[in-house]
Amino acid sequence: MSTSTVLRPGLRRVEQIMGTPISLDIADDLPAGQLDTLADETFAWLREVDARFSTYRPDSEVCRFDRGELLLSEASTDLRRVLARCADLWDATDGFFDAYATGGLDPSGYVKGWAAQVASDRLLAAGSANHCLNAGGDVRLRGRSSSGQPWRVGVRHPWDPSAVCLVLAGTDLAVATSGVYERGHHVRDPRRGTPARGLRSVTVVGPDLGLADAYATAALAMGVAGIGWLDRLPGHRHAVVTDAAHCLHSTDLPLAD
Amino acid sequence: MRRALVAITGLAASTTALVVLKAAPGTSQVAQDVPAGQPPAATGAAEDEETSPDATAAPATGKPKATKSARPQGSASATPSRTASGGATRTPSAPRTTTAAPQPTARTVTGPVVSNEFGNVQVQITVSGSRIVNAVALELPEKTAQSVQRSGEVDSRYSGTGGMVVARQGADLDTVSGATATSRSYQQSLQAAIDRARG
Repeated sequence: MSTSTVLRPGLRRVEQIMGTPISLDIADDLPAGQLDTLADETFAWLREVDARFSTYRPDSEVCRFDRGELLLSEASTDLRRVLARCADLWDATDGFFDAYATGGLDPSGYVKGWAAQVASDRLLAAGSANHCLNAGGDVRLRGRSSSGQPWRVGVRHPWDPSAVCLVLAGTDLAVATSGVYERGHHVRDPRRGTPARGLRSVTVVGPDLGLADAYATAALAMGVAGIGWLDRLPGHRHAVVTDAAHCLHSTDLPLAD
Repeated sequence: MRRALVAITGLAASTTALVVLKAAPGTSQVAQDVPAGQPPAATGAAEDEETSPDATAAPATGKPKATKSARPQGSASATPSRTASGGATRTPSAPRTTTAAPQPTARTVTGPVVSNEFGNVQVQITVSGSRIVNAVALELPEKTAQSVQRSGEVDSRYSGTGGMVVARQGADLDTVSGATATSRSYQQSLQAAIDRARG
């Protein structure tokens, strides 16, 4: 699935990891060898996260910890950090982000965004100031696209996969969208145990993709009450489409144009 | 006795096979005959569409989308209408009519036809150089009038001067945020079309 184009500087690559397609667009005008190395390292990290944090792999660190085969003190720094962050999120979201919602430990709702955020941080540190990483619809972008303009991120139209309902632009953004348009109402209200209702999709924009993703998922689970909750969320901006097809968004959302 | 049983079973099986074979092409055409660009049924005020772009919540849909009603008819053969719950999602799903090498001239990239619970979806984008200059839905699910109406409402809130897809064709996107968690939903996403065009 990985190819590159000669039309524009940089590199574009898509791989399927963590059960989701991950698209990397590096816009830096760097030698091909260096670009390949950057991309290789990015995807290697994401595969490593999958191996260590997947709840589908019985031998993953998460599963071993969940079964009690691994003590917290023996866990990796990454796992301990993820667990601490999940606990913080449970607090911050009033229990609506719940890594134990399914019974066992499942930090996936935070891990994907976190992994992509770390990947982007590493790209930046390794010399790529201009890139856009899209992990299954959660986007971390930095710098500018190869057109020289800020990256333009469409927000998927909740009723039309071929369209977008908003376009955001920026040079340093984490954009996460949670929606119930995919598998029906699959996000559950962890308190009532029933499918969340009221919101069709929630987009959260902030500095950290792991948090943005978790906040979006939590707000979706809250239903309409999630709108007010998002409004009070410091340091983040949001856009919400309700089941009644009304759109609400922060006034300072970084809309394009 | 056993022979009679076998005979009856055989007859039943072949009849079923016939019926299934006969029914199959028809069932995959469910969502085909409603044009994607139908204006929302309810909420009047359609006359506002030219005169007052900012007026209330007038769903100014019709005009741009009407061009899309030329729908490809051959798509019935494209995908099996429904794969068994995610199992075989990565099968080669549809003819990908990608034009060959990237050229500075405009070219179109057509995604596969993907079926979901609401019907079929197929996206086509036009690329000039590395920029997306147009995006149309060749096929869209039209399960209920309600969902059409909702699309229109979201449109009118968001798109300002134009219709749903056309207003966004100039959107010139680098990427799309949206829950494309499964490879199946990725296949039908705008992000897939963008990746394919740039790949």
